[in-house]
Amino acid sequence: MKKTLVLFVVLSLIILFNACGKKAVKVAPVQEPVVEKVEEPATQVEKPVLSEEEIFQQKTIEDLNKDQVLKKINFDFDKYQVREDMKSILQANANWILKFSTVQILVEGHCDERGTIEYNIALGEKRAEAAKNYLASLGVNAAKIKIVSYGKSKTLVQGVDEASFFQNRRAEFVITKK
Amino acid sequence: MKIKQIIFLAFIFFISWQLSGQEEITIRIKEGMPMIPVALPDFQFAEASLPNNEIKSLIYETLWKDLEFSRVFKLVPREHYSYISRFNANAINFKDWASIQANILITGQLEIAADERIIFSLKIYEVNSSKFIFGRNYGGKKDLCRMIAHKAADEMMKHFGEKPLFTSKIVYVSETGTDKEIYIMDYDGFRPTRITFNNYIDMLPSWSANNEKIIYTAYRHLNPDLYMFDIYSGKTELLSSGGVNYAADWSPGAEQIVYTSSKDGNTEIYLKDMKTGQDKRLTFNPAIDTSPCWSPNGREIAFTSQRNGTPQIYIMDAEGSNIRRITTEGSYHDSSAWSPDGMRIAYVSRIEGRFDIYVFNLKSNDIIKLTENSGRNENPSWSPDGRHLVFSSNRSGRYQLYVVDYDGRNIRQLTTSGENKMPKWQRLPK
Repeated sequence: MKKTLVLFVVLSLIILFNACGKKAVKVAPVQEPVVEKVEEPATQVEKPVLSEEEIFQQKTIEDLNKDQVLKKINFDFDKYQVREDMKSILQANANWILKFSTVQILVEGHCDERGTIEYNIALGEKRAEAAKNYLASLGVNAAKIKIVSYGKSKTLVQGVDEASFFQNRRAEFVITKK
Repeated sequence: MKIKQIIFLAFIFFISWQLSGQEEITIRIKEGMPMIPVALPDFQFAEASLPNNEIKSLIYETLWKDLEFSRVFKLVPREHYSYISRFNANAINFKDWASIQANILITGQLEIAADERIIFSLKIYEVNSSKFIFGRNYGGKKDLCRMIAHKAADEMMKHFGEKPLFTSKIVYVSETGTDKEIYIMDYDGFRPTRITFNNYIDMLPSWSANNEKIIYTAYRHLNPDLYMFDIYSGKTELLSSGGVNYAADWSPGAEQIVYTSSKDGNTEIYLKDMKTGQDKRLTFNPAIDTSPCWSPNGREIAFTSQRNGTPQIYIMDAEGSNIRRITTEGSYHDSSAWSPDGMRIAYVSRIEGRFDIYVFNLKSNDIIKLTENSGRNENPSWSPDGRHLVFSSNRSGRYQLYVVDYDGRNIRQLTTSGENKMPKWQRLPK
């Protein structure tokens, strides 16, 4: 008799809790869905569904690079030290690389056209190296990062103003393996 | 006693001053040497020859342009030939040629067979003594016309104690669309021949000492590695990889190259024994060291270093010791090229955003500027006789190759199509 009473109490508690849970679930959607469905077209709703992980899994290396999941950084004229304002970009890149620990990266160092071919190859190398070292200082395994210098042989934009030169003085981060 | 010593020292000083003075004078004489006035009357056809005027004028014009380019010979203007009686190979009137100020008379006779086989006979006379100096016969098909003329011009240079250069070639990078390939052409820009066929970037070619191989950098495996291409066998071999590998210069005296590499983590200058393949690192500096270039006697190496903050030109002994700085003004210098006589170094300076070619005289410390206010001028390379330099310039919009004389005179454009860069003139094989 006592056992039946205990069982009854437990069961009723479970039912009570369940009911409460269901109520909580139901309450939230009731307030919002009307607004959402009216405003957003179907295609746009799909996009936010993909998490960073899903993007990484689904996209090819080429697409990831095309989408520039790793952002490039720019340098001062004739210099190869990492600029203060570029450090946050490197931090974001480092976070991404640390998150997807299987990736391997090639850092390409580039220069603007206001240098000789020979010196620019060396300068581009120094820029790529500076970017690599900075990523390594943020915890990225240096063995995953290779560097290459293109000097001024792969300029991004054609132009003879400082804005164009600035865009060309850069390090790009290319994913080579995921 | 003391007075004697002083006199003796003064005497020594006087002698050494005299000697250095003498040296200075010989240099000036060589550079400002009056050119030899030569006359080049129209070539004659041999009796049995086909009267092919196209071949005749091709050889004639090529020879004329070579001699005009030389800075050794001065051609008596063709208009003056009309003042005297027509050239007759059988009865040369030397007095006539003397009257229009010709010292040397160059005559040519052509025998062209039905299959366009050519025999070109060159005869050189000294006008004042009415004497035959030397002659040569050249044979070949029509497509060798330019070569026949270049060989004849080289013979002229050699006979007058100068180094031949008209059969020398220039290696360079030509870009059409996105393709960057290596080409070889004659010194005057004619007969370009493509030697690499690939889709990756090829750059900074240079010659081996015997001019049979081209060393260049290619991004074949997505990395700038150093390769050597044998022009005659067509074989390519990898010389150096890991990091950047570029700007090779073959030693004039030994089976060695110097080049730039960052295989140990930083751009440094290396010396490679081409027989054993063994590397020896020559520079040890956390700064950028690049663009090595041999002195013509093989004892020293000029290079670019950023060890004092900005790229400057330095010279070191071939073992890597005794480093001294050459450029003292300006904040950007690179691409040094040592003249064949060992006395001058040509290089590129960037001053206020302009790139121009300068020549530094190692004896007098004088610097002369070869290019002025005309685009970016880069990668100078000396002719085998040291009287001319080839370089690339974007003065006409796209990069093209140009030649200029040692004193900045006679700039002429060699290439016109696509974009052409990084020229290296052959040296004279030993």
